[in-house]
Amino acid sequence: MQIRVTAEAFDPGAEIGGFIGGRRDAGALASFVGYCRDETHGRKVVELLIEHYPGFTEKEIARLARETARRQGTLDLMVVHRVGRVQPGEPIVLVAALHAHREQAFEAVRVLMDYLKTDTPLWKKETGPDGARWIEPTEHDQARRARAEENA
Amino acid sequence: MKLVFLGRFREIAAPHLSDMARPADVATLSDLQGWLAAREPGLAGALCGARSQIAINQEIVRDPGHPIGDNDEIAFLPPMSGG
Repeated sequence: MQIRVTAEAFDPGAEIGGFIGGRRDAGALASFVGYCRDETHGRKVVELLIEHYPGFTEKEIARLARETARRQGTLDLMVVHRVGRVQPGEPIVLVAALHAHREQAFEAVRVLMDYLKTDTPLWKKETGPDGARWIEPTEHDQARRARAEENA
Repeated sequence: MKLVFLGRFREIAAPHLSDMARPADVATLSDLQGWLAAREPGLAGALCGARSQIAINQEIVRDPGHPIGDNDEIAFLPPMSGG
């Protein structure tokens, strides 16, 4: 399990490249990269601040990753999450899963991303031309999280 | 005890609250919530929100009767928004 919370910009390609290592039991690597957009719900975004709770954030991401791995039979999972000030166009989160087969690799990435949206101790504040506001999980995020739980 | 306010709670809470001696009448989490609500009206609604959570020594705690010790770190977490 590779879990990293970083205040520095990261290169998803380089992270994924090192993830498979030399192992020969993984037939599939699936990944997702979330980026900071310059617009949400019709509002301009000039900067995103992502706040974390040092120690607890890493611990909770690791717990959610272990839970996902247990449910999906994943060989390994990687999460890199950016914190601090993020500019539009920069990666925020990378989730990657190794599995013998592609279906389960895709599924592990989807499930872990749903958890990350609603259950990870991270708080986002968007700054636009009209000021700043804290973001909370949407109804859609909550519904996806509930579905992940039902399918467990 | 140490109080940690995250996200929007940090912007509401007065800085002097972060490191303070445990008041004599605060023995449980529920006591602490009441104590804070009485002194920080701005925080009262936020701390009781349905989707807000509290962690004691970096473990989520839901029992209002959970004891609070002099060396505990109590964190107030607004609804989370990762990913």
